[in-house]
Amino acid sequence: MAFTQGNALPADATTPLVLSDMAESGARITAANGAAEALGLFAGMATTDARAMHPPLVVEAADAAGDRQALRRLAFWCQRYSPLVRMEAPDGLCLDIDGCAHLFGGEERLAEDLAGRLAGFGLTARLAVVPTIGAGWALARFGSEEITHVARGETGARLAPLPVAGLRLAEETVAGLKRLGLERIGLLIGKPRAPLVTRFGPLPVLRLDQALGSEDESFGPLCAPPFYQAACRFAEPIVTLDAVETTIGRLSGELTRVLDHAGKAARRVELALYRVDGWRETLAIRTSSLSRDADHLARLLGERLDRIRDHAGFGFETATLAAFDVEDADAVQHGLAMPGEDTQAGDIAPLIDRLANRFGPRNVVRFAPRASYVPERGFERVSMLDARPDRDWLAHMRARQNDAAFARPVLLFDTPEPVDVVVEMPDKPPARFQWRRVSHRITRAEGPERIAPEWWLRGNVSRQTRDYYRVEDETGRRFWLYRDGLYERTNDQPRWFIHGMFS
Amino acid sequence: MNDPALLDELRKKIGQAERADERSWPVVGSGAADFDASLPEGGFATGALHEVLPATYADFPAALGFGLGMAARILDTRPGPMLWVLPAYQTASHGALHPDGLAAFGIDPDRLIHVSAPKTQTMLWALEEALANRAVSVVTGILPENDRFYDFTPSRRLVLGAARHGVTALVFATHPQAGGATAAMTRWSVAAEPGIAAPRAGQAVPGLTAPRWHVHLLRSRRGGRGQWHLEWNHETLSFRLAAPLADRTPQRSFGLHTGQRAAG
Repeated sequence: MAFTQGNALPADATTPLVLSDMAESGARITAANGAAEALGLFAGMATTDARAMHPPLVVEAADAAGDRQALRRLAFWCQRYSPLVRMEAPDGLCLDIDGCAHLFGGEERLAEDLAGRLAGFGLTARLAVVPTIGAGWALARFGSEEITHVARGETGARLAPLPVAGLRLAEETVAGLKRLGLERIGLLIGKPRAPLVTRFGPLPVLRLDQALGSEDESFGPLCAPPFYQAACRFAEPIVTLDAVETTIGRLSGELTRVLDHAGKAARRVELALYRVDGWRETLAIRTSSLSRDADHLARLLGERLDRIRDHAGFGFETATLAAFDVEDADAVQHGLAMPGEDTQAGDIAPLIDRLANRFGPRNVVRFAPRASYVPERGFERVSMLDARPDRDWLAHMRARQNDAAFARPVLLFDTPEPVDVVVEMPDKPPARFQWRRVSHRITRAEGPERIAPEWWLRGNVSRQTRDYYRVEDETGRRFWLYRDGLYERTNDQPRWFIHGMFS
Repeated sequence: MNDPALLDELRKKIGQAERADERSWPVVGSGAADFDASLPEGGFATGALHEVLPATYADFPAALGFGLGMAARILDTRPGPMLWVLPAYQTASHGALHPDGLAAFGIDPDRLIHVSAPKTQTMLWALEEALANRAVSVVTGILPENDRFYDFTPSRRLVLGAARHGVTALVFATHPQAGGATAAMTRWSVAAEPGIAAPRAGQAVPGLTAPRWHVHLLRSRRGGRGQWHLEWNHETLSFRLAAPLADRTPQRSFGLHTGQRAAG
């Protein structure tokens, strides 16, 4: 495992610079550069004290959110070494390099490579290649070497001289341990546990065991590693989109071969391009049905390429194509074609994928019925990329319309628009209405059809009962009007709305 | 430039390119035999492009009704989904397609795929993509109000795409003046017409009848124009010709309403 801990360097390393943030007891230094540390300033000290010690000190505001984001970006970039990366906020990263190190010429070479690149980005990093997460955390922060290597079996010996703060404990616990004279991790190893647990809870003992490797610790990576992935590294960084496109073609061919061999197919594919300067660009596509068609995947990815047109920077040096949502490929549907029928011998899935890829999955939808009599809640739009809802339109429409097929308009307003009406008698259809500054005289009408909203719904939902009328004006145009609220109820204020138009 | 051999060669090439849409796809009847007989195609041609315009701005629902009727007739004869493509902002002014309302046309909402495109160009791209897929039955596009992009060339592309696999393309306009030159098989203009209903007993206002439209055939590739009064029957899912309303003054009505088809 390797750990890094980094602070950004200022442009001029000889000027003392500190970052400061407001803490409970006033402004505190959160980070100091080399020149500032040489003056005896350190993180955690009061900013005013530092200013008093060294008046020309440059103080900048710390940006915790920005730091976190930068760390996250770096974590994604580190996936070029291993798919299992986790963040140790605020300043560390943890990589599981089991089974990956040989790709870079061994653990030592990997650590050197990583250290070299991080130094190239302007980051001061301390690395530890160790058997456990806890030991790495301690050695990267409190160890004496730039790059620490710990062989299996000597973990305890290497941890012993480090301060107990290296055990990932809360400040109070560390302070409490120090009061007891337990300042070094070595003093805890092999000591009776019961008094420690009574005094400080189970955590110090657990952390110690995890650091020593006698207790398991789950890794919890930034994102789940893909089972199926194709990768390639370039001798020279690639910059042009053409080169990326060629790479996509190669990788998708490779990935689909792997999937085919395993009898699997994927629903989601992600292309990651690792930039020389510590960035990672990703392009993700989803397909409506399981796919392992290399040309189809390459085409979908190719249509996305515009998004990274100007993002190549100094070039990409590594590319990976990973398959997610992988399922057994026996379930791949080869269209709904009847055998021997020419006109239908096609598959709709590639079309759906291309449309969803270009317009976004939310914009390529099917309608699904919902159990509500209120028209605007009676259906929902479901992305074609999501599973088909198991609900029956036929039964739904029969229940809603009492077999009167024309009882619902073909165009519906998402938000009903208010109209001014002239009503001659309550509970009769209006005689006239005015909508969008045009007056309509009603010559034919049907209704009312009373629709009451669900009383059990919470939130910002109208609870007024509606009386719907189908009306036709003198020119033959048909509208769906409703009165929101009933006349006989004193707390209802009846207002009229247009909700749709019939063809 | 005036080299006759070169011109011949070019003509041959263009001829080959144009022959693509000469493959004949079935023609679907409207359900009204007399209406079909008066149409140059003898019905609604599939594997072709049809344009439907509203007669006035407020007639868009009527145009939609006529087009949906046409789509319903075609969907009945050819399996596969119907793609409904429109600019995303369109729904604010005209309302969104209501799946329950499709019941009047006998169209199963499950067969509908609804696509929102950001603008006309992308909408036409989606239409063309859909036409290239033989599993699709009908492709429908709604042009935005201020469209300046759709003219002969895009329509020609749609025609060629439609002819390739027999997918039918329907293009609706929301504006009566929409569309200049076109390569479409037909262009229709539709206006709403009041229904004829007798007052019901005990009701001051008569009820609604079957939707009724005044339909103009403005253009047709095979020649022929005309106008008809059509009704949509939601029970038989077919069109039927409606007799035009007569002026009840005998002299004025004489001889004017004997034929449905005007000279043109």
